Amino acid sequence: MLNSISAELLLLRKRPSTWVLLGLWTLLAANFGYIFSYVAYLNGSGDSVRPLADMLPSRLVATLLEGYPFFGGVIVLILGVLTFGGEYGWGTLKTVYTQGPKRSQVLAAKIIALGIVLTSFVIVPFLVGALLSYGIALREDEAIDWPSVSVIARGLAAGWFLMVVWAAFGAVLAVLSRGTALAIGLGILYGLVIEGLLSAFVNDISVLRPVTEAFLRSNGYSLVEPLGLATEQVRGNGPGAFRGPYVSGLQAFSVLAAYFGAFVVLTGFVLRKQEVA
Amino acid sequence: MDFETLTPPTLVGQSRGDTGSNALIIETEGLTKRYGERVIAVEDLDLRVRRGEVYGFLGANGAGKTTTLRMLLGLIRPTSGSVRVLGEPPGSPEGLAHIGALVETPAFYPYLSGWDNLRVLALHAGTQQNRIPIVLEQVDLADRAGDAFKTYSLGMKQRLGVAAALLKDPELLILDEPTNGLDPAGMSEMRDLIKNFGRDNRTVLLSSHLMAEVEQICDRVGVIHSGKLIAEGTVDDLRGQGGLRVRAHPLDEARRIASQLDGVGEVQVLDDDTLRIAIDPADASWLNRQLIGAGIEVSEIYREKASLEAVFLGLTKNGGDNDVE
Ligand SMILES: Nc1ncnc2c1ncn2[C@@H]1O[C@H](COP(=O)(O)OP(=O)(O)OP(=O)(O)O)[C@@H](O)[C@H]1O
Ligand SMILES: [Mg+2]
Repeated sequence: MLNSISAELLLLRKRPSTWVLLGLWTLLAANFGYIFSYVAYLNGSGDSVRPLADMLPSRLVATLLEGYPFFGGVIVLILGVLTFGGEYGWGTLKTVYTQGPKRSQVLAAKIIALGIVLTSFVIVPFLVGALLSYGIALREDEAIDWPSVSVIARGLAAGWFLMVVWAAFGAVLAVLSRGTALAIGLGILYGLVIEGLLSAFVNDISVLRPVTEAFLRSNGYSLVEPLGLATEQVRGNGPGAFRGPYVSGLQAFSVLAAYFGAFVVLTGFVLRKQEVA
Repeated sequence: MDFETLTPPTLVGQSRGDTGSNALIIETEGLTKRYGERVIAVEDLDLRVRRGEVYGFLGANGAGKTTTLRMLLGLIRPTSGSVRVLGEPPGSPEGLAHIGALVETPAFYPYLSGWDNLRVLALHAGTQQNRIPIVLEQVDLADRAGDAFKTYSLGMKQRLGVAAALLKDPELLILDEPTNGLDPAGMSEMRDLIKNFGRDNRTVLLSSHLMAEVEQICDRVGVIHSGKLIAEGTVDDLRGQGGLRVRAHPLDEARRIASQLDGVGEVQVLDDDTLRIAIDPADASWLNRQLIGAGIEVSEIYREKASLEAVFLGLTKNGGDNDVE
């Protein structure tokens, strides 16, 4: 099993798209949280200008986590799709399976390797965010108060957990569609259109409420809300906008964990049953 | 007529100096694979490959070779029938631990080097990494092992596929048209490699549509056509089915009489004065007497030296329906 994990780590590590996605996500997180926000702040007075306080070290965790429930999620959904879906395009499943690992072992190795690689999707943006907030605080002559270690740890854990759930979503879509293109399309369409549109209308149409409470988006934002999420900012978060309803952190965690479990079990079931040509 | 009855089913284990272990390495019974209602890719196939033999699995495009190999490896499930490979159900890790396989086109991660591809596979297989340089050397790919797979030529990809199949130093090697895309020198090297591998009691199942290849390296051959095994035996057995050519006049009458005789299989008209008659060539003079006795002028009878190719074409043209004519 450890050997299979090393194999999958090698695949992810040497795959250029892994690093492209990490770079892209780090860039997005840095821009939305800090660079764009700070430039907008310097230039004055739009409605959506983020208060300076959000960009200071004390709000590091809350500000960075804003991006994970949707933007980060969609990016690592692509990583999950590529990890599983690439095998179909290249026909490499047959090559791997004939070497003898159980299909369930290949699945577990891929998921664990993804989990390991996804730590960098939290650590790198957090490091970059920390640097930027530090710089902004210096420039503005503001206090440099870092969040407590426990808040940082919980923030990293929550961000990582959201990434893992979205990546597992990508895995299911990839094995069901036996490829990458359709899976990425469907994943983004779902996140953007279904969850996005329905969430936008939820305050006007009350029957939608229980539906949206089951969304990845609602549970994602609810999971990070206790860490100081700027809910007002999230309302205007573009395609990732969310106006509630929020559920408790525990409920959000449970629902997301159930999603993760369901995604992995379904992926495993499909892989097991699927004929490999 | 049934070609399978023509084949003496022993010989092979003995010819390789196999000390009594005539064990079946591959055994299928009634193996069938259907795709939808119409396509029967493999039908009621009983395949038996013994320890230590190089078994040629011969068939035209679409005959069902690859489909059979996929079932042997557990990549696809049979619609019905049973399979044991090395005594294990197909696709079980215990069996696969001793099988090396290349099925259809070699498939690898394009962005990884040849070496890294083998690393990934060795890790999944639980094989020592020190096998990698050995197998790369065996397929003559060592000097390009550091290059990305996507930059490989067709033949280099094929070589890497064979290298991956050799990685576990397997007891059973299953190769699906392994000389695909190789240049003549490469083909000949590959055949030597397979022949050498087949020494010391290891087993090879080699699918091919190249008669010359099968003729050169296989101990025993099975011919598959439209999903069915239509003939099986040593290369010589199969060639023996060549029969006789007869120049006779009037030809139609000769044809009618010959086809009614006992022990005569198919009778074909080759050109305006020659028949090809499927019959044991030792019966040439008997056949001659019968024809002359019926008032036919026989100007020539000679033994047809069938190449495996001719046999194969003859077999597959008529498929399983040899009785029809
Ligand atoms: N996944 C599939 N769906 C439908 N039909 C299939 C599938 N796979 C194979 N077939 C059909 O099964 C038959 C046998 O195919 P197979 O690939 O086993 O042939 P083959 O003997 O390997 O031929 P070749 O020499 O061209 O490689 C063909 O008619 C093919 O169209
Ligand atoms: Mg084939």
